[in-house]
Formats: sequence, structure tokens, C-alpha cells
Amino acid sequence: MSTSTTVTPTKLWSGGKSPFNVEYGKLMMWYFLMSDAFTFGAFLISYGTIRFSTNGWPDPNEVFKSFPFAPEGVHAPLVFVSIMTFILIISSVTMVLAVHAGQNMDKKKVVTNLIWTILGGIAFLSCQAWEWNHLYHEGAWWGSNPFLNHDGTASSTNFTNYFFTITGFHGFHVFSGVIINIVMLIMTLMDKFEQRGHYLMIEKAGLYWHFVDLVWVFVFTCFYLV
Amino acid sequence: MSNEAVLHPHSVAATHEGHGVHHEHHHHETFISKYVFSQDHKMIAKQFLITGMVWAVLGGLMSVLFRLQLGYPDSSFPWLEDILGKWAKGGHITPEAYYALVTTHGTVLVFFVLTAGLSGTFANFLIPLQIGARDMASPFLNMLSYWFFFAASIVMLSSIFVETGPFSGGWTAYPPLSALGDASPGSKTGMDLWIVSMALFVVSSLLGGLNYIATILNMRTKGMSMTRLPLTIWALFFTAVLGVLSFPVLLSGFILLIFDRNFGTSFYLSDIYINGVGALPNEGGSAILFQHLFWFLGHPEVYIILLPAMGMVSEILSVNSRKPIFGYMAMIGSLFAIAILAFLVWAHHMFVTGLNPLLGSVFVLLTLLIAVPSAIKVFNWLTTLWRGNIRFTSGMLFAIGFVSLFISGGLTGIWLGNSALDIHLHDTYFVVAHFHIVMGVASMFGMFAGIYHWFPKMYGRYLNNTLGYIHFWVTIAGAYMIFWPMHYEGLAGMPRRYYDYSIWESFKQFVELNRFISLVSMIVFAVQLLFLFNFFYSIFKGRKVTSLNPWSANTLEWTTPLRPGHGNWPGEIPEVHRWPYDYGKDGQDFISQTTPVGEEESHH
Amino acid sequence: MSHTATHEEHNGGAVKEIVRVTIILSVLTAVELILGFWMMGMPLDGRLRLAIKGAIIILMLSKAFYIVGYFMHLKHEVKNLIMTIVVPLGLFIWFITAFLIDGNSFRNLRNTYDPYFKERSTIKVEKKAEAKHEEKKTETVAPVEEKKVVE
Repeated sequence: MSTSTTVTPTKLWSGGKSPFNVEYGKLMMWYFLMSDAFTFGAFLISYGTIRFSTNGWPDPNEVFKSFPFAPEGVHAPLVFVSIMTFILIISSVTMVLAVHAGQNMDKKKVVTNLIWTILGGIAFLSCQAWEWNHLYHEGAWWGSNPFLNHDGTASSTNFTNYFFTITGFHGFHVFSGVIINIVMLIMTLMDKFEQRGHYLMIEKAGLYWHFVDLVWVFVFTCFYLV
Repeated sequence: MSNEAVLHPHSVAATHEGHGVHHEHHHHETFISKYVFSQDHKMIAKQFLITGMVWAVLGGLMSVLFRLQLGYPDSSFPWLEDILGKWAKGGHITPEAYYALVTTHGTVLVFFVLTAGLSGTFANFLIPLQIGARDMASPFLNMLSYWFFFAASIVMLSSIFVETGPFSGGWTAYPPLSALGDASPGSKTGMDLWIVSMALFVVSSLLGGLNYIATILNMRTKGMSMTRLPLTIWALFFTAVLGVLSFPVLLSGFILLIFDRNFGTSFYLSDIYINGVGALPNEGGSAILFQHLFWFLGHPEVYIILLPAMGMVSEILSVNSRKPIFGYMAMIGSLFAIAILAFLVWAHHMFVTGLNPLLGSVFVLLTLLIAVPSAIKVFNWLTTLWRGNIRFTSGMLFAIGFVSLFISGGLTGIWLGNSALDIHLHDTYFVVAHFHIVMGVASMFGMFAGIYHWFPKMYGRYLNNTLGYIHFWVTIAGAYMIFWPMHYEGLAGMPRRYYDYSIWESFKQFVELNRFISLVSMIVFAVQLLFLFNFFYSIFKGRKVTSLNPWSANTLEWTTPLRPGHGNWPGEIPEVHRWPYDYGKDGQDFISQTTPVGEEESHH
Repeated sequence: MSHTATHEEHNGGAVKEIVRVTIILSVLTAVELILGFWMMGMPLDGRLRLAIKGAIIILMLSKAFYIVGYFMHLKHEVKNLIMTIVVPLGLFIWFITAFLIDGNSFRNLRNTYDPYFKERSTIKVEKKAEAKHEEKKTETVAPVEEKKVVE
């Protein structure tokens, strides 16, 4: 830690300190996220490949058109998912604020913002649970697809297969992100970071959480928009 | 995190001010914490090595068993029934067992021996020692990496003992054979265990790879700039990058496969009819998609296996030629080029799957580009040897053997990389010969070279040299005798993965040749057992190393004590002042990296 | 340790930056949604629809840029760190291109040589109720749909 004092750019790589001026944990988190980006990338690219090798595909606006507590048969495409998207963006914002407060050693703000982030995550998961449940009752699941293609022809099950697999995998990431954030919250409340003198752990948790948000940007576009 | 903090994570705050003052480590070491759940990179390296050796013996034995079938298809061996039971009824290996043996042999050697056993061992052992660090960035994750590998091993091992046998659809696990339990006995429980094992392995390699990257970037000692790193470290660095970026794609592919197997999806399945089961409802999937995903890992995997061997060979050739490595920067550049190209060429494994021909021709172009950095490396190795003051240690012999094998295996790669030629050669013994020489045996040689060379640092004793010579000469002669004839068989169109060639009119002519290959493979396997004897005997009874620097090498690992403890250097970590290849400079045999540059020294 | 140097100066500006990026992200998402709504009535193979899809992807990438750059703080890291993260992502270009080209080519192959595949994509399923009878293979769908009718 003490190696980070005077940094002159020319000596960054000469050894004895991090060339990026970053502690190893954050470096590992970044490269883990890159690796994870390839996991998600592979999923989404597989989805694209199958879509490209299929003649027809269902219209997302016909599939994702319901809203909780709305009467059956309501046609509100994109509305519910945009709410989910905003929830995740806002939770990302509160996470940045928590990280920022951590850098200022402001425990109280860290706690409030972490709580908001956790609540955002739980809200997102609840929305997803509702949507999955709703689709399930419409007959959609892994291996069964009640929806027709755009042009009214029969659709293969891969539309729902990919939808559930990829949003499920993303949901799993959100879930583990929430768990990580809860652990961070507990550690903050126990003054662990005050004792250490830094809130670097929160930064790493933050990176993970933003990554989850980032993935949703891609999932949202690939499944609901295009 | 500083190097001190790695060993004393709890006292970071306390030592925050006093950086530079080394604190003697005084944690109490029990048997468990020293030999089992060790967080010392050197012990973890040995764990990887010995687990890899166990797998190498098992995998090698499997190849001997199926070579027995290929060489002597008409004979029966009653003792086979004794050890294999129903898998060798009447002393004949059954077709199911044959395919299971081939599959497990491939999986185990590619992933467990040549990935975990090779880069797991030497990345763990050499990275901290050669860059001047007390341990890995995260010793704990490093330990986890080994134990995930261990768990993967156990699961894979258990798959051999299930009722329906281990997976038998080839190490590439192409669907539908791998996706449908009804497709073959091995596709049932054996395949489930295979996937679980591989998933654990991906986690292990990810944990390891992240650690290697973070350590090499962050923990180099003072003065150890990137261009002063030994080539071993550069190679291991690129290996780790390849693993971190390509294994997750394999994991995605496997997750989709798991869904296809268990949850009624059809990612990879379409229009399938199984005899005795009937038509399947799956529609709209693409089996080729799996091949794309698999080879997106699979091709980088080849370099994950090869690059560490290249790095160690570069180091060993230079040390034992008493000459600086020729073209240090070109070596790094070619490693880098290979690492990039590794990600761009995967579909050359799929030329005959119905791949778009135009796309295929782009893959041909990219594939042939690999010849350029490979050739640069070969020329640099040869010019390093050229007019060198060569010491023929066992390690050096294996390093030279690596270069030989890399050339002869690499050249056939140029044939296979052309899609037009590949139409004839694909799925024949030509392919088997090519990848066994260039990836299997060559990397094995790199691994042997590394073991012979760094054994004194690992155990404080030498391996027996005479046994080493016998090991080398029999292995290299045997490797060529096994795989060279396979080229001819392949050119004659003899397909791979057949159970019995003697019943085919076209391949009857090869019965004798196949028997010859089988015979040699058994001899070579026996000589590997001799090496194992040498290894374990020398750990306890080998000739003791008396000098700190037995090979008169420049790199940092030889500045540590004979048997370094956890933390590697008892005092300060030495500072580095020069690159690692100052051999025969200004009339001096070698100048250690820790020697400051003199005023009148010439520039290299 | 990573931000001791940077965050002192950014202290006041940091929150402002967060607010600014939040607004940008919200606006980008809103534009995406508007495009999504606009696209709904369009013919499937229209040029405009394709262009809008392209626009949405560009918006998606710019959202990713803001999240990674500002929320994940990458813009404020050392340049070399940025390079080690951004450059390998370039592999995705060929990853995506090759996979999609081959996917498309696979469809063309099947449309040419697999009459059943071709035929299947031209038969329209009239109503959902009839879909039940036509798709004999997906038996699991049928009971659930019936339940929906009862509701």
C-alpha cells in the first residue's frame, strides 16, 4: 500500500509497484469482469447466431406486453421492462455514491447508499420474478414456447430457451451482487473498513454491481428492443 | 498490495509505515497447512505437478490400452478382463470402452496434464520466484485454484467407475452425442460427471489465471520492468490471459449443453432421430454452434498448452547455450502475436462442418499467419543455439527436443490450415499425428525440460542424469516412431476414431504398422515410468545441490536459499538491474540480474 | 490506494459527474424506448427498421461507455489499465462477426437443402387455439394454454 506515493509516469513499469497504481484485488476484479464479459458475450452471441440461422422470430412487443396488476389482455409493451431498467440504473447510481462516500471515509453515507442499492437489487429481482412467473403461466418455459413468430408461423423453442437462460444467468448475477452488497453492508456496520482505514472492498463490490447493470444494458437491448 | 502484505495480511496496517523493513515470518506451520492446504506458491506448484503426473500416468495407460486394441485387434488378453471387467469381455476391449478410453485420454491430457499440470505447476513455481515476489498476489485464491482442480480430478475419476461408463463422445464433446443421454451409454451419467468436472476445472483455471496476471503486473520487484522479465514469465502471462478470456466461453457452451441435456431445450439440437427412441421434438438448434463455442476456447487452449513450454524452452536454451536469447523483443512480440491470433482462428477446426466457405477462407488466411510468429520463434531458438557453448543437461536435451518437435509438428499445421487440403486430411490420422506432435509431445517435452531444469530449486536435489538421458532418447525416438507413420496412414485416408481397421479392405495394409506403433507406445510409456521413478527417488535420495546457482543462471530464483521458505527470500527481495540474458558478456560467463550495471559495461 | 491522488481534486466534482452521467443514461434509455415504440408498426424487413436497430445498438454501446467509464471509474484510471481492458474487448468484433455470418449461412444452407425447414417457416399458424393442435410436439404448452382460456 505504501508503494503508491510519488508516481512518475516513466517509472510506472519499472517494478516495485503496480504499474496501474491499483491494488491487486481491484486488478483481479477487473480481469474477472472481463472474463465474465466473455461468458455473457458468448451467451448473447449464441443467441444471435441461432436467431440468424432461423427464419422467423417472435415479436418481443407481443411477448413482453403485460404489467403487474393490469387487467388481462392489456397491451403495454416495453413499459414494465423500462421500469426494470431504470431500477437497475438508479441502484447503480446509489452504488457509485456509496463508493464515493467510502473514498471520503463517510460511513453513514456508505450505509445509506448501500441500503438503497440492495433495495434496488431486490426490487429488480422481484420484477424479474414476476415477469418469469407471468410468462410461465402463459406457457413459456425452457423447452416450450407458446408464442408465434412475427409473421404468424410456428416458432422454435429457442426464443424462450435463450430468454430464460440469459435473463436467468443475469438474475443470478444480480442475486450474488445483492449478497455481496449485504456482506459489505454488514462489514461497514461492524466498522471493518474504518479499522482498515480504507473502503477498497466497497469499490470492488461496486465494480461488480456496475457490471451487472452493464450486462443488463445488453440483455435489455438484445431481448426487448431489437 | 505490497509483497509484505501478502504474507501478513492482518498486520498490513501495522507495517504500513515501516515498508522495507522485512519481518521474519513466524506463523506456525502444521502438516496440514504446509503440505495440504498450503498457501505457499511453491507447495501449490508441487501439488499441481504431482496431481498432473498421476493423471499423466492414467491418461498414458489409457492410450496404451486402446493402442492394444488398435495394434492387436484379433488377439484377446484375458488379463484385460481382470482389470476392466465387463468393459473387456473375453479379453477384448469393447467398442464402448474403446471410445471411453480415447475420450478420457484426450480430456485428461489436454486439460489436467498439459493445462493444470504444466502451466499450473510452472506458473505457480516460477512467477513469484522469477519476478521477485514473496508469493502470489492472493495466496488464498491460489490455494483454491488447486483445490478446484483437485475436485475436478475427483469428479472425472469417479466418472470412470459409474455403471454406464465415462463419457465416450470424444474430448470435444460435440452434441448430439454429448447432449442426449440416449445416444450412447457414455452420454448418460458419465457425461454429467464430465461436464461437472470441466466446470470445476474452468473455475480453477480462472482463479489461477487472474492470480498470475495480477501478480506479474503488480508484484514485480524493484527494477524488474516488463522488458527485464524472463521469457518464461512473458509466456506464462500470455497463457493466463488466453485462459481468462477463452475458458468462460467454454463455460457458456457447457451451460447451454447442460440445459439441452436436462431441461428440454434445443440450443444444439434439431431434427434428430434415435434408433429405438424415435424422433425427438427438438427443433431449431444448431450443433455447429457448440463447435464454434468449443473451439473458441479450444484453439486458444492449444496455446495455453504450448506457450508455457515455449517460455521455459527459451530460458533453458539460453542458460545452457551460455548465450543471450536471440531476439528477446521479437520473442515477446511473437508470443503476443500468437496470443492474439489464437483467438481469431478457431473455425479452422470446422472447415468441413458446412462452414461458410468465404468465412472459411478468412480463417485459412488468419491461420496461416500463425506461421509467421512461430517461425520467428524457431529461428530465434536455433540462432540462440548457434555457436553456443552448449551444455547437454537433461533439461537442455528436452528443450532441443521441443524445438525439433515444434518444427515437425508445426509444418503439418500449414497443410491442415488450408481448407482445400483439409477436406482430404480432416479426421484422418494425419490430424492425430499433427496435434500429438506439436501440442502433445512438444509440450510434454517442454514440461520435462522444466522439471529437469528446476528440480534442484524445487527439492534441493538433482534428478539422475543417466536416467534422464535414457528418458530423453527413448522418448524422442519413440515419439517420432509413433507419430511419423501416422502421417502416412492419414494421407492414405485412414480415418481416426475407428475401433478396428483390420476389417476394412483399404486399411488392411496398415495392420503391421499399427502393431508397430502400439509396440513403441508401450515402450515409451514404460520409459515414462522410469522417469517417475527418477523423480520420486531423487526427491529423497537424489544427489544434493551444493551451489545456490547450479546452472549458473541469471534469473532471480537462483538468488534464493537452497530450500526457500514461505516468502522466498529471508531478507530483502533483491533489486534487479538488468535483463536476464547477460551470458558471455564482456568476458564474463554470466551476470546475475541483481548485479548493477558497471560503468564500463558494453551495451547489448 | 488507487484514488488517493485523484479523488482529492474530484471531490466536489465527483457528485456532479455522477448526476450528469445519471441524466445522460436516463436520456439514452428514453431515446432507446422511443425508438422501440416507433419501430413497432414497421414492416419486418424495412430499411428504416434496420437503421433503427442499428441506432439502438449504438445507443446501447454509448450507455455501456458511460457505465464503464464513469460508474466503474475506468476513465479516471491510468491509461495503461484502460488499454489492457479495452483492447482485449476488441476480440469481440471477430467473435460476433464470424458467429453471425456462419449463423446466417447455416440458415441459407437449410433453406436451400432442407425442404422441411423451408416449408415450416412458410406455414402460418392461424390462431393460437389452432397452434395447440398443430404443434403436437410441444405437449407441455397445451395444458397451460387451456388454463389461460378458463381464466
